[in-house]
Amino acid sequence: MIEIRLHGRGGQGAVTASRIIATAAYEEGKYSQAIPMYGTERRGAPLTAYVRIDDVRVRERELVHNPNISLCFDPLISLQQAVANDLKPNGQVLLNVQFAPEKSELAGDINIATVDATSIALETLGRPITNTALLGAFAKATGVVKLESVEKAIKKYFPGRLGDMNIAAVRMSYDKVSSWVPAKNRVAPKMKVDLEVGGYGTLKDVSSWRVFYPIINEEKCIGCKTCWIFCPEAALEWKANNKPSMIDRACKGCGVCANECPVKAIEMKRVEGS
Amino acid sequence: MSYEVMVGNKATATACKLARVKVAAVFPITPQTTITEYLSEIYASGELPGFEFVNAEGELSSQVIVQAAEAVGARSFTCTSGPGLLYMHHPMQETASKRLPLVMAVVHRGVKSMQPDHSDLMSQQWQGWLHLYVENAQEILDSVVMAYKIAEDKRIRLPVAVGYDGYVLSYTAEPVEIPAQEDIDKFLPPYKPMPSILPDEADPKSFARGWGEGDPMKPWQMHHQAALNGETVIKEVFADWGKKFGRTYGNGMIEPYRVEGADCVITAMGTIAGTTMAAIDKLWADGKKVGLIKIRSFLPFPRNDFQEIAKSVGAIGIFDRSCQPGMGGPVFHQMRSTLYDEAKKTPILCFIGGLSGKEVRIDDMYKIGEKTLKVAKGEKLDASIQWV
Amino acid sequence: MSTERMTRAQVPMEERIIAPGSTCQGCGAAMAARLTFKVLGANIIRHGIPCCPDHVTMQPTAGSVFEGGGASLTGTSRGLKALGRTDVKAVAFFGDGGTYDIGFQGLSAAAERNENILVITKDNEAYMNTGGQRSGGTPKYAETTTNPVGPNSRGKAEPKKNIPMIFAAHYVPYIATASVAFPEDLMQKVKYAKDIEGFRLILIQSPCPVGWRFDPAKTVELARAGVQSGMWPLYEIEHGTSFKLNYKPKELKPVSEYLKPQSRFRHMTEVEVNEIQTTVATNWQRLLKADEMKTVVL
Repeated sequence: MIEIRLHGRGGQGAVTASRIIATAAYEEGKYSQAIPMYGTERRGAPLTAYVRIDDVRVRERELVHNPNISLCFDPLISLQQAVANDLKPNGQVLLNVQFAPEKSELAGDINIATVDATSIALETLGRPITNTALLGAFAKATGVVKLESVEKAIKKYFPGRLGDMNIAAVRMSYDKVSSWVPAKNRVAPKMKVDLEVGGYGTLKDVSSWRVFYPIINEEKCIGCKTCWIFCPEAALEWKANNKPSMIDRACKGCGVCANECPVKAIEMKRVEGS
Repeated sequence: MSYEVMVGNKATATACKLARVKVAAVFPITPQTTITEYLSEIYASGELPGFEFVNAEGELSSQVIVQAAEAVGARSFTCTSGPGLLYMHHPMQETASKRLPLVMAVVHRGVKSMQPDHSDLMSQQWQGWLHLYVENAQEILDSVVMAYKIAEDKRIRLPVAVGYDGYVLSYTAEPVEIPAQEDIDKFLPPYKPMPSILPDEADPKSFARGWGEGDPMKPWQMHHQAALNGETVIKEVFADWGKKFGRTYGNGMIEPYRVEGADCVITAMGTIAGTTMAAIDKLWADGKKVGLIKIRSFLPFPRNDFQEIAKSVGAIGIFDRSCQPGMGGPVFHQMRSTLYDEAKKTPILCFIGGLSGKEVRIDDMYKIGEKTLKVAKGEKLDASIQWV
Repeated sequence: MSTERMTRAQVPMEERIIAPGSTCQGCGAAMAARLTFKVLGANIIRHGIPCCPDHVTMQPTAGSVFEGGGASLTGTSRGLKALGRTDVKAVAFFGDGGTYDIGFQGLSAAAERNENILVITKDNEAYMNTGGQRSGGTPKYAETTTNPVGPNSRGKAEPKKNIPMIFAAHYVPYIATASVAFPEDLMQKVKYAKDIEGFRLILIQSPCPVGWRFDPAKTVELARAGVQSGMWPLYEIEHGTSFKLNYKPKELKPVSEYLKPQSRFRHMTEVEVNEIQTTVATNWQRLLKADEMKTVVL
């Protein structure tokens, strides 16, 4: 049996990707199972899905605790060690990032491959939705399913022209994926950021949700508190000098503050590597 | 101490007053509507200071209202029957899961008719409450007051349902002794919620709740144990009541009648147990040594008591006043489970009757006694349902 | 009516929410929660029902089944009274599902009994917690996951239930509408309502970037457009008789400014948009008239 863990953000199609993989496997005469982690996803929040592929019907339904392969659809989440943890020995980690696998800091008894699925998606689909754009790389790098099976599966989920565009994304990432490189550091460090943002109530740290963050121009700022009053997370503290400042663990990067500032003293800057 | 010839429903309302209930939320449904009216009179008269009486718009809301009032620290009460109980099904489960010591009177009205059978309360076995069944108006008054002491005991902290048959008990009048308020006050201390949710008393750590923390099995294990603790606490409370008020009901879990020297016993719950006592007297007069075990606590089931009784009787005849379609009589199944591991295999007979209010007469119970006796004396057991 | 006007300088600095919460980026309901709890103070027991997870706040919570909102508030309020603790207030922070639909019966009954409770509803116009299914608060033509647009459907066919007027018709002490785009007005109304005895309800427009499908940075901008176009009028009604319109621009902005940025309305034809425009304009005239007479007919 092959067990795969997928990492993505809520609303970006990681769950659909898990089902496409399961469908591709079935196209090849294998049995499969795709498990989403429901109930906890919020737009922007990290989420996890799982796939099992086997030659016999998959019976068990527990979550995948030790995958053979980990796929990460999001460039920022790809920097988190959690993506590489708990794999079986000699595990494979495929990341959507712009750099080569040698530059990855992820550690463990793992091999890393990378592909810039975001750019591929922007080129072929016009939007940074990377769920299909990573799957071609997945097929080539792991060999778990064939490219044509992935394409057949895509056609089931995306008919017509949309299907063609997605297939173009798949083919491009198939060609562009790097080769496998063993991780530099074989021992995984202790986790700093928890990717489990599940459930209700208070969270410890939502900084991993951000793709943008606010930069405050204190000279332009007139201290009107408009940004402060509208922040849904109370993530702007009001300093003694009558200017706001972002609270790192609380800001989700929604951009309301920048949008509402009457003097445009806040700029939303893209997080490095996203 | 005084007395009054009163109907079962009035005994319930009187018990609420004695227990110094602070909040009651009610809705009419036959055959318990008059409880709501008695309570409204108690409110209007001002004889229970601080009493908050809510005319809810439905039973589901009644349950939620008293659940919330218990949570904030006010001893509360509600009552219902049949369909009204089913309507409360959703929030009823929360009252138990939240470990709130509410007391509710369930005036039996079968789910297939307006007349009594035990299908209403039996259908709520899964909700995590304690279930008591009572037989006469005096027992109602005594049991409702005691139910608060049982529910609020820190070994329990679960809601208690006190069930009694509609019409034949709710509307039939009997002499009831009413204990003095100051004696009840000594018996039943004020209620303190655990934990408090008042802003000046609540633990701030409880505000920032996480979700799905800890082993999900744990709350079930604790709840199960608390329900089982019912046996210990029920026996203690009923013994205490016996000492203070001079009335006992067996050991609280079961009430034996003429079991000494009996060859077999039959069991019954609710008003039918009273009818059975008359049948038992006739049986003994005819030389047939049949005893009665009136089951008072259905949940927790009197397992220890029956394992003891089974040692010295030749057969047990169960009278179930409800039938779970496709499964049969609930008391019958509990009894088989209770006695399964015993060294001595005691035959258990299954009688189902009184459904949808069908009248059960002394003669019916006499015949049940006879059949049970025959099996005790060696006749082959037929454990299939015998419909009365 | 609340006659005081809170200024930005008077907005309490203290946060009463425990942030960050698990709401989506740009969540209007989270904004509503933050502003509401800033003025409610510490001496409350906050009620919740299954709902988009709002921030946890620094007060004890109570709650019950989804349909039990009105009843659990009643129980808490009556229990507090029986205990002689009328200094503690029973306050709810509910969603539109628990107010318009499954919770409606219980709230209507609590209003009819004039229970001493404050109900604050954040209206994001669908059952967002379960993924965005339509509710009684969903506006006409909005697409939701249970009324998608197709050859057989134009989205929701029915208009939004008029909850403020319905509850005002229970003749309760105070009903108000508010918007996250007008934070001082919102907080002033909550502050005013807090100290009134009897049943009070405040309905807060809380745009949902995920369900209404717009850029999360625009939550406040969109809410403002809703108010300025007359789609979400701001008003107060006391005892079902006296009426006050709080925000009266010289001219209403066209409804298209509100509808266009939301993908849940993107399928609407010009005819349909005009229909909404006419409805809003007619309703606005009625509200202006009521404001002039300082009363509503209920």
